[in-house]
Amino acid sequence: MNFGDQNGLAHLLVVSHSARIAEGLAELLSQVAGPEVTILAIGGASDGSLGTDGERVREALEAAGDGPGTVVLMDIGSSVLAVRAALAELEPDQLERIFVADAPLVEGALAAAVTASTGAPADVVAAAAEEARSAAKL
Amino acid sequence: MQQSSESDATLVVALPATVDLHARPAGLLVREASRFGAAIAIVANGRRASAKSILEVLALGATGGTDLTLTASGADAADALAGLGELIPRLA
Repeated sequence: MNFGDQNGLAHLLVVSHSARIAEGLAELLSQVAGPEVTILAIGGASDGSLGTDGERVREALEAAGDGPGTVVLMDIGSSVLAVRAALAELEPDQLERIFVADAPLVEGALAAAVTASTGAPADVVAAAAEEARSAAKL
Repeated sequence: MQQSSESDATLVVALPATVDLHARPAGLLVREASRFGAAIAIVANGRRASAKSILEVLALGATGGTDLTLTASGADAADALAGLGELIPRLA
């Protein structure tokens, strides 16, 4: 699995139970944050049903460990568990480049993507995502 | 533009009549604001947002034609407001 860009901006990895949530969210993020931010969105189980493909999550996180810095956002339940399980298998130097954001998925990813587009490093991008936990809408 | 001190500046600029500050235009605004070191606030409809926070800017709920009051402080405050003053009327 390859994130496939060289522009140095922090990457986003989105993990959802649903392929369509992942795909739709990635579309929204590109629209708002611009096309320069690399977003890898993984959704659904390996057979395309709702669920989590732990193997794909593991491969993506392994690739992220070699990247410029990746912020990971998950929806719920097994998405979170799959990320945690995959992180437990990585080496310390890989983990230094991965920042898991504890944030609501859509709002957090939006904040993260826009912040990443400004050239902010991944730890700052993750902090922006976590601000979504307390951001009012009304 | 009204300058209250060397590093503070204020600018009032209206959104285009047909452009609400929805996700895409808000993203453009935040990305422009983030080019500058200055702290930039937007006040609209009595609400205040950091111009560098997409979630806060979206929560302004600013609709087409709304006056946005931008206040910037920092060394490049004037440049920041010039950039935003150029961008906002061109949002589509």
